[in-house]
Amino acid sequence: MKVLVIIPAYNEELSIQHVIHEIQSYMPEVDILVINDGSTDHTAAVAKEAGAIVLSMPFNVGIGGGMQTGYMYARDHNYDVAVQMDADGQHAAADLQSLLSEIQENDMVIGSRFLEKTSYRSSFMRKLGIRFFSMLVSLVTRQRFTDTTSGFRAAGRRVIELYANYYPIDYPEVESIVYLTRKKCRLVEVKAEMRQRETGKSSITPIKSAYYMVKVTLSVLISAVRFNEVKPTS
Amino acid sequence: MMNIYLLSILFSLVFLITILELVRLRKLKEQYSLLWILMGVLLLVISLNVKWIEKLAGWLHIEYAPALLFLFGLLFCFVFILHLTIVITKLSQQVLRLTQEITILKGKGSELHEHNR
Repeated sequence: MKVLVIIPAYNEELSIQHVIHEIQSYMPEVDILVINDGSTDHTAAVAKEAGAIVLSMPFNVGIGGGMQTGYMYARDHNYDVAVQMDADGQHAAADLQSLLSEIQENDMVIGSRFLEKTSYRSSFMRKLGIRFFSMLVSLVTRQRFTDTTSGFRAAGRRVIELYANYYPIDYPEVESIVYLTRKKCRLVEVKAEMRQRETGKSSITPIKSAYYMVKVTLSVLISAVRFNEVKPTS
Repeated sequence: MMNIYLLSILFSLVFLITILELVRLRKLKEQYSLLWILMGVLLLVISLNVKWIEKLAGWLHIEYAPALLFLFGLLFCFVFILHLTIVITKLSQQVLRLTQEITILKGKGSELHEHNR
């Protein structure tokens, strides 16, 4: 099984090396692709030094555009599985194995903080938002999801192909799940630990949060009615 | 005597000529000029037939007939701005796709370069 780990990174020179080394120590056989999304620091050089394949966007295109570049690369190089991970070190490479163990029977495996009790702690507002989207997506797709905003996922060949062709541009996590269920993909969640971010700051401000809520809700509702010939999978 | 109707006729004419000139100089694509030409012609026709606009205003219970002209203009602006945001959406999708393809090609290029060294 040919596996590619995709890590979109924007100014993450402080954490990217540790993230790459952690993956290599748990799974030395996987390829690691860092999408350097217009960083102004040394993210690309540090990632290359650590042993990752690095693709540098000429300017910042946002998380969705960067992630899709990774899926295009995975499709072009014939990978069986593409795993999304964050560059800030919040996803544990130790959980990679459990994501990959489910990918044979499913098109996408999502690492969830809330499927079982994990050590994840967060603010009340953030938890409320995460709950809201999980409920919304569960309602729209008629499948239970507990952590739709998780950016820790493994995608099989079918999803790699689908995402290389269409991927939401900003705040893509939630909508990209609904999109897959519309395409009759099989999705499953597995338990995953998520750590507090080690370096840098979260980019979320109150205004951005409000925009995030409205934009993502709209895209979920619209993508739910977009392919009306497809019935939700159960 | 200068009134709003005469002003409208003059404006429509100047407007139409400007659009056609812009297309002639290739400063405006034909496909984007069509909506503007339509708007210019419509404005001209309405301005030339004041009776029509007054009749229509009467049916719609608009006391000040030229207000109907403003309404037409405003609605047209909305439609055109909508058209423009659709064009922008398409353009930004194309720019993103190009950026992604370039990024991947650039990666392949430097890979080859290192291989040959």
